Amino acid sequence: MLIAGGLVKRYQGRAALAGFDLTVAPGEIVGLVGHNGAGKTTFVEVVTGLVRPDAGTVTVAGVDALAQPRAARRLLGVAPQEQALYPPITVRQHLRLFGSLAGIRGRALRTAIESTAAELHLLDVLDRPVGLLSGGQRRRAQAACALLPDPPVLLLDEPTVGADPLTRSALLDAVAARAAAGAAIVYTTHYLPELAELKATLAVAAGGRVIARGRQEDLLAGLPGEVRATFAGGVPGVLRDRGTVTGGTLIVASHDPAATLAELVSTGVAPESVDISRPGLDELYRALARTEQPVLSDESAVRRVA
Amino acid sequence: MSPESILPLRSAALVRHNTTLLLREPGPVLSRLLMPLVAVLVFTPLDRAALAAEGRASGTVQAVTGVLVLFSMLALSVAGSGILTERFWHTWDRLRSTPARSTELLAGKVIPALVVLLVQQALVLLLGVTVLGMPADHCGLLAIAVATWSVTLLCVGAALGTLLRSQAEFSAVQDISSFLFTSLGGALVPLADLPGWAQRIAPASPAYWAMSALHAALAGQLGQLARAEGVLLGLAVLAGALAAWRMNRGWGRSQLI
Repeated sequence: MLIAGGLVKRYQGRAALAGFDLTVAPGEIVGLVGHNGAGKTTFVEVVTGLVRPDAGTVTVAGVDALAQPRAARRLLGVAPQEQALYPPITVRQHLRLFGSLAGIRGRALRTAIESTAAELHLLDVLDRPVGLLSGGQRRRAQAACALLPDPPVLLLDEPTVGADPLTRSALLDAVAARAAAGAAIVYTTHYLPELAELKATLAVAAGGRVIARGRQEDLLAGLPGEVRATFAGGVPGVLRDRGTVTGGTLIVASHDPAATLAELVSTGVAPESVDISRPGLDELYRALARTEQPVLSDESAVRRVA
Repeated sequence: MSPESILPLRSAALVRHNTTLLLREPGPVLSRLLMPLVAVLVFTPLDRAALAAEGRASGTVQAVTGVLVLFSMLALSVAGSGILTERFWHTWDRLRSTPARSTELLAGKVIPALVVLLVQQALVLLLGVTVLGMPADHCGLLAIAVATWSVTLLCVGAALGTLLRSQAEFSAVQDISSFLFTSLGGALVPLADLPGWAQRIAPASPAYWAMSALHAALAGQLGQLARAEGVLLGLAVLAGALAAWRMNRGWGRSQLI
């Protein structure tokens, strides 16, 4: 279990974290989302002990991570946002290093290397220097270093950025398996569909704190999606006041896209193409920006930001 | 497995890992081992001529110890550049997020470099004694002098690697400091032949104390050796502590250029 409370971190007067609260239960995957600069990566750096907070508390599986950072790091697996691999050495050598640093040795280490590599489709490149791998293979190798020791708490900072479908699928399967085995997982990302696939709860960060916390469907409920209708000869005058016009496309925010589309077609002007999108992070951010108070859909699981 | 029983395993893993990294590109290691052997053969006749009045042995001692100190300065880059490279690869922070202590990470980086440095200096001394006839009656003292100088250099290199922000900055500092320290320290030219002003500021150079320690060890002068060792160890402790402190503090995301 991971519990962070009231974390504050300032850099030259600017607050990177301004009362950041987050609790992750065993077996739970929390999708930590937010714009760049929201505090996601600083939070990860504080939990791993790379950055000392100005105030607040962090407990990793019962260990006070600020008082006993090395003891806490034994319980953590970390895949940082930036690629952190040694180009000249092989994937196997990476896994052996991080497994050894976690205290795994001998046959147990060899078995863990093989099984983690198999899980992340890295067996074919296990003895290839990382510098010769593709971007997706490197992403998987980086995640493998975090997953190999099977820690009770995992911090995965945008593990699928720039990843190909194979990499994304392998990573998501591995993360879901760790959660099923009881690990508490923080997964930062900009991709909501990944979080839906992982059945993750959401924590939305902005301005250095968590401003919304709960199940994805609860937080997105009531938010409008979009209907984008493109017309061959430009948006007809009769429809221009129905939404936002961008070139030949009319964009209409809608809670009921089917009814909106039917309404547009009923005017007698058929669009050339129509694109309907569900509410996503952008809509959630916009809705939260209009809200002064934090949105907590599950008060029992989350302590409210002070 | 208890954390204490894991410690030797972790340290061994870090040493093995850094040895692998070092040997992945063996060219620089080989050149550091071979270049001083050639240099000592070139410098010996020159130093024998320069110190003819003091006897043939003095010239040989000056050539061997001077080349040893001059080329050992390259060790700065083995430790310092290694750390700086890891900062660019983001692997240093990745290692810091494991249970390993800062001192273990530094030791893991420095120990393989220390072995290379000790082999380099042992080869130079061996050549000096066996081929050039350098007198060496106090091998134990000589080993202490060489070990202390090596540890000092690696600690200074580690401190530079944690403090500087780019390879270019590191190269500039290394080039300038190596040239200044070795020339002022009497490694390039015998100390007695330096201008008066240079002789007066020579003790500010670590290379001066390295030369002093080596000469004292060869001559069996315990007092002079102890003084030089004290200065070098003090510098090593200071630089090592600075490196560990800087490493513990971290660099954030904007400390490299």
